[in-house]
Amino acid sequence: MTAQIELKNIDKHYGAFHALKKVSLSIEKGSFVALVGPSGCGKSTLLRSIAGLETITSGDLHIAGKEMTGVPPRHRDIAMVFQSYALYPHMTVEENLTYSLRLHGVGKAEAKAKAAEVAATTGLSALLSRYPRQLSGGQRQRVAMGRAIIRNPKAFLFDEPLSNLDAALRVQMRKEIRALHDRLGATSVYVTHDQIEAMTMADWVVVMRDGVIEQQGRPLDLYDQPVNRFVAGFIGSPAMNFVDGVISEDGRGVVVGAGDRIPLARQAEPNRKVVAGVRPENLRVAEGAASFHFEVGNVESTGSATYLTSKDGALQLVQTERLGFSVGDRVGLDIDPALVHLFDPQTGARI
Amino acid sequence: MGVIMETGPAVGGLMRRFLASLRDGVGFDILLVGAAMVFLIAMAGLPLIYNVLMSFQQVDMFTLGSLIRPWAGFQNYIDVVREPAFWLVAKNTFIFVFFSMGGQFVIGFALALFFAQNFPGASTIRGLFLVSWVMPGLVVGAIWSWILAGDFGVLNTILKGLGIIQSNVFWKSDPAFSIWAVVIANIWLGLAFNMLLLSVGLAAIPRDLYEAAELDGANALQRFWTITLPMMRSTIGAVLSLGLIGTLQQFDLFPAITEGGPANTSTVAQYWSWQMSFQLYDFAKGATISVMMLVLVLIASIIYVRSTRHEVRG
Ligand SMILES: Nc1ncnc2c1ncn2[C@@H]1O[C@H](COP(=O)(O)OP(=O)(O)OP(=O)(O)O)[C@@H](O)[C@H]1O
Ligand SMILES: [Mg+2]
Repeated sequence: MTAQIELKNIDKHYGAFHALKKVSLSIEKGSFVALVGPSGCGKSTLLRSIAGLETITSGDLHIAGKEMTGVPPRHRDIAMVFQSYALYPHMTVEENLTYSLRLHGVGKAEAKAKAAEVAATTGLSALLSRYPRQLSGGQRQRVAMGRAIIRNPKAFLFDEPLSNLDAALRVQMRKEIRALHDRLGATSVYVTHDQIEAMTMADWVVVMRDGVIEQQGRPLDLYDQPVNRFVAGFIGSPAMNFVDGVISEDGRGVVVGAGDRIPLARQAEPNRKVVAGVRPENLRVAEGAASFHFEVGNVESTGSATYLTSKDGALQLVQTERLGFSVGDRVGLDIDPALVHLFDPQTGARI
Repeated sequence: MGVIMETGPAVGGLMRRFLASLRDGVGFDILLVGAAMVFLIAMAGLPLIYNVLMSFQQVDMFTLGSLIRPWAGFQNYIDVVREPAFWLVAKNTFIFVFFSMGGQFVIGFALALFFAQNFPGASTIRGLFLVSWVMPGLVVGAIWSWILAGDFGVLNTILKGLGIIQSNVFWKSDPAFSIWAVVIANIWLGLAFNMLLLSVGLAAIPRDLYEAAELDGANALQRFWTITLPMMRSTIGAVLSLGLIGTLQQFDLFPAITEGGPANTSTVAQYWSWQMSFQLYDFAKGATISVMMLVLVLIASIIYVRSTRHEVRG
C-alpha cells in the first residue's frame, strides 16, 4: 500500500490565527478517510489545503508521490464535493457533468457518452436536461457526486456533503457514497462533524481539535481505546459519561461517592484523582448487589431502547430492554470492569 | 327622512369597509399603485403622447399653442431624413452611443474585476470613483473642455511629453476629433456607474463556483468565459440597456465642450433635436427626431426584457 496523499507537518495561518498546527497524515491509496471534529477545528481548512484552494504556510504535501507546493488546484487532479454542492446554475445537469471534460478538450460525443454512463451510476439519467434549480436537494447531491467521478481523479474530497439532506436520505447516501468508493477503487477524504457518519463510512478516522490531530485510527480502535477525554467524548453516541473520583486504597476501583465505586480490571495508583469514563451502553442495571447508584432524573424510551439520565445530568444509561423506572427511583448499576476508561483530570490523557 | 335614516348605516358600512380595506386589504396596494400611475401618466405619459402627436402635425408659430393642428402624416419624418445634416448626425450618434457604451462597459468591467480582487483598500478606492458620478454633466463638460483645449490643454501636454504627438491636436475644433472629445468625456462620466453595477453583479456570484471550476481544470480565462460572463448575463443586460438610455440622454457635455460643432461634426440626435426645437423653433422636427430616438430605446428595452426573462440565477 502506498500513500496517495501524504501530509507532513502542515501549518496554516490565517494572519495571526493558527488554523492547522503541525498536521501529519498519510492517506493510503484506496482508503476512505474521515476527518471529524467540532465546528471550527480546521477540517475544511485541511481539506481545502489538500485541494490547493488554501495555500499552506509550511510543511510538505505530496499527492501520488508528487510535491504539491505551488501546484494550482487545476493541476492537482483532485475532485471535491462541496457542502453547498457548487453546481453551475447556468448549466444543465449534463453540462455540469461534462464541464471538466470539455475543458480538457474531450470530444462532444465522448463527453456525452461518459455523462450518460455516470448518470446511470448516480441515478440521474432522467434528469440530464434539467437545470440545478429544478432538482431536489438529494438530486443536486448526486450531480455533485457525478461531476466528481466523471473525471476519475486521484482523490475525492468531500466537505460535509450530506449536511443539507434529511435524516433518511443521509443514511441512504452514506451507503451509496461508500459503495461508489469501493466500486471505483477511489481514494476519499471525507469531512464531517457527525461521528456516526465517520464511524460507519470510513476505514480510518482522524479526530481533530483546534487545528491539531488528536487521534487517528480504525473506527473501532478509536471507540475502544480513545487516547484522551476529548476523543472519548467525541466518538460514540450517546456520549461517554465522565465521573470524577479517586482511586480506592486497594487500587481496584474508583470511589465516586459514599459507598459507590466503579470497579477496575487492573491495578491503578491508589488515592489518585481521576476521571472515570463509562459508555452509556456499557452500564447495566444491577441484578444483585450494585457497585454504584444513581437517581433517575429523566426517562426516555424510543421503543427499541430506554435512556435513563441521572438527576444531576452527569450520567446517562442506555438499555435495549424496556425498563420500568420512573423519575426519582434510585437505581443500582454495574459495569464490566474492562470497559471502564480512566483519564487524568488535568491533561485529559488516558491513564 | 325615513329614507335617509335607512341609507345612513348602509353608507357608513360601505365607508368602513372601504377604510378597512385601505388599512389591511388590497385597497392599500391599489392606492399606492394608483398614486404612482397618476404621477407617471401626468409627468411622463402625457408629454410623451403629445410629443408623438406633434411629430405627425404641422407646427408653426401660429399653431404652437393649440393641441389640434393640421395633420402632416409622415411629412415631418421625410423632412428630417432629407435634412442635409441627417446622415452626419446619424453617424455621430452611432459613434457616440457605440463607443461611449463600449468604453464605459469595457473599462468599467475591467475596473470591477480589478476591485473584486480584495486587496487592501479595494472598497475605499472603488468608493472614490463615485465622485465622477455625483458631478453635474456641465461641470464635467467644463473640466474636460479645459483638459482637451487645443492650445493650453493638459492632454496635449501629456501626449507631447510622451512623444505620441508632435504638434497640438485641436480636439474640440478639428472636425476629425470633435465627436471623440465628447466620447472621451462621456466615458469618464459613465464609468463609475458601469463599474458599480458590474461590481454588484460580480459580488453576487458564489465563490465556491470558481473553486469548483478551478478544481475542474479551468484557468482564469476559462473561468471568466464559462462562469463569470454567463452568471453576469442579466447584470450586463441591465448595464447595457441603462447605458444606452443614459448615452442617448447625455446632453450637458455637448454645450459645454463642442456645441455640436464644428459644422455639426459633433452633433448627435438629442442635441440636434434640442437645436431644432429651441434654437430654430422647428418644433415638429425636434419632436420627430426625439420620437425616432424613442423607437430605438424601445427596441433595446424589448431585447433586454426578453433576455432577462429566462433568469438562471438561484
Ligand atoms: N479565511 C479565513 N480567515 C481567517 N480565519 C479563518 C478563515 N477560514 C477559516 N478560518 C478559521 O479557521 C478555523 C478553522 O476553520 P474551518 O473552516 O477549517 O473549520 P471546520 O472544522 O471546517 O468547521 P465546520 O465544521 O464548522 O465547517 C476557524 O476557527 C475559522 O474561524
Ligand atoms: Mg467546514
